[in-house]
Amino acid sequence: MTATTTDLSRCPMAPRSVRRRRLVNTVITTSSWIAAAIGIFVMGWIVVTVVVRGIGAWNVAFFTQLPPTGNDPGGGLANAIVGTLVITFGAAVVGLPLGFFGAIYLSEFGRAGRVATGIRAVTNIVLGVPSIVAGMFAYALLVLPSHHYSGFSASVALAFIMLPVMTRTAEDVLNLVPNELRESALAMGAPRWRATLGVVVKAARAGLITGAILAVVRVAGETAPLLFTALSSPYWLSGFFGPSGYFGGPTANLTKDIYDFSQQPYPHLIQLAWGGSLLIIVAVLGVNVVTRLLFQRGKEW
Amino acid sequence: MVDIMDTIEPGAESAVDRPLPPRLEVTPGVASYDTPAQFDALPSKLSVHDLDFFYGKEQALFANDLEIKEHRVTAIIGPSGCGKSTHLRCYNRIYELYRDQKAMGEIAFDGANILAPGTDLLSLRRRIGMIFQKPSPFPMTVFDNIAYGLRMHFKLSKSELSERVEDALKRGALWEEVKNKLNEPGLALSGGQQQRLCIARAIAAEPELILMDEPCSAIDPVGTAKIEELLQELKSSYTIVLVTHNMQQAARVSDYTAFFFEGRIIEFGATTQIFEKPVQRQTEEYITGRFG
Ligand SMILES: Nc1ncnc2c1ncn2[C@@H]1O[C@H](COP(=O)(O)OP(=O)(O)OP(=O)(O)O)[C@@H](O)[C@H]1O
Ligand SMILES: [Mg+2]
Repeated sequence: MTATTTDLSRCPMAPRSVRRRRLVNTVITTSSWIAAAIGIFVMGWIVVTVVVRGIGAWNVAFFTQLPPTGNDPGGGLANAIVGTLVITFGAAVVGLPLGFFGAIYLSEFGRAGRVATGIRAVTNIVLGVPSIVAGMFAYALLVLPSHHYSGFSASVALAFIMLPVMTRTAEDVLNLVPNELRESALAMGAPRWRATLGVVVKAARAGLITGAILAVVRVAGETAPLLFTALSSPYWLSGFFGPSGYFGGPTANLTKDIYDFSQQPYPHLIQLAWGGSLLIIVAVLGVNVVTRLLFQRGKEW
Repeated sequence: MVDIMDTIEPGAESAVDRPLPPRLEVTPGVASYDTPAQFDALPSKLSVHDLDFFYGKEQALFANDLEIKEHRVTAIIGPSGCGKSTHLRCYNRIYELYRDQKAMGEIAFDGANILAPGTDLLSLRRRIGMIFQKPSPFPMTVFDNIAYGLRMHFKLSKSELSERVEDALKRGALWEEVKNKLNEPGLALSGGQQQRLCIARAIAAEPELILMDEPCSAIDPVGTAKIEELLQELKSSYTIVLVTHNMQQAARVSDYTAFFFEGRIIEFGATTQIFEKPVQRQTEEYITGRFG
């Protein structure tokens, strides 16, 4: 035996207590089970409550008619459904491409450079900004100068929330693509843009699609940013300009209607609010399931 | 950002209009051992002169000199971390993907210094194919993998394209195994098949020089044997540089061997000479397994 190795027999290792190990194991396993059970129970409770209370509101009128005026029961949230879809779509049109190309810049070109580091820092800050600030931002940017609320300003507010979410997830997904793939494409004589779009993005596409959809779903249920932007409207969204247009005036949307109607003393309006909540939950769940299917299909190319 | 954008070539668009080079003739029976006189007479496909390489401030290669002879397999051997990959990655300037990496010196490829500014990297990289240690099929079908370089560099009709794809797969010794799987993802092949797919993908673009960085290290012995066999066939049409950790492999497939140690080329010569009568003590110690 050389001088550098320790003589192990001189410091015998006491075996660790098996009983202690088993106890620790049991405690940790049990507590994680309990934590998981509480989480699932609360979520299940919410879903069940919303289904039980909301399903009664779902009839043909709910999906096709305007909210009731005055005290007569009946009517629906059709204008708010359309409004929410349009506002969310508008936000996606602005927010997703910006986030996508921002992420490409960060992961493929900027990397550890100063500009990219700055963008990343700003992205992280914006991620943590309460969503009502996004609403104030769009209010100051669009509503104040134009002197009217609009669906478009709501889209901008939601895009502002969507952008950092998309940028972050897309950058993370692109960073998972191994460098060998980038090198292989470049080594084939591909120009940088072609290697990026044709190979790197393609390799990451399942994750990018998932990230994009989750970013959209993330904002679809937002209420606060709509308070100062879309506001709400008892009318149908009609066209782009004019007092009921997307750019021209307040736009009906589900979350604001849920918020307003749930405060009313009339049971039929409260019922509509539950119906709207159920619709949002079903839509978000549905989109999640579809995304998962897409994700799996994406893996098989 | 600027330095990376610089690697995008001005000639990117015109690449497509370049005429397709003729298929290289297969000339069987290339000698695997050249006398020193023959070595001198052989044309160099690539000659490296006084090459230094830096990772940031860290110097990884020191004054490398090397002649890569046309239609020969040159093996690069040496202990881990001695700079084999670094050296190889200078030949197609792929290191430029990383902004802090820098090569200095001269690498003459068919006489022109590729380290000089203004080199058309896209056409350089078409002429110099590279195979990496880990098989890296693109996320697309087998067919599209092979067609990738063809579509990018040449104008081809649909039938010409599929003819070229088939030809490349045949030369990559993969055709029989994938002819019914052309529309399946390249990633669905076995590791060894993926590596041959990458070789076929490189061959399809009609390169003149093929660089391989430990192409068999992630492949089982059967796959390795297939790739070695393939190398023997390929060397009549192409010039090959092979980095390998496997001494037997270097001895089996290469004509010339360069021994690297700590960023320097310690010895370069005919493979038989390097393995039988190495001049340098370090070479002998490495080959006989006394270090590395
Ligand atoms: N990206 C990098 N940044 C900094 N240093 C690096 C980098 N890559 C390699 N090096 C250093 O450069 C030297 C040469 O590395 P290289 O990868 O060329 O060795 P190699 O001979 O290919 O080794 P192996 O046989 O393990 O592949 C090593 O000392 C290594 O630590
Ligand atoms: Mg290496």
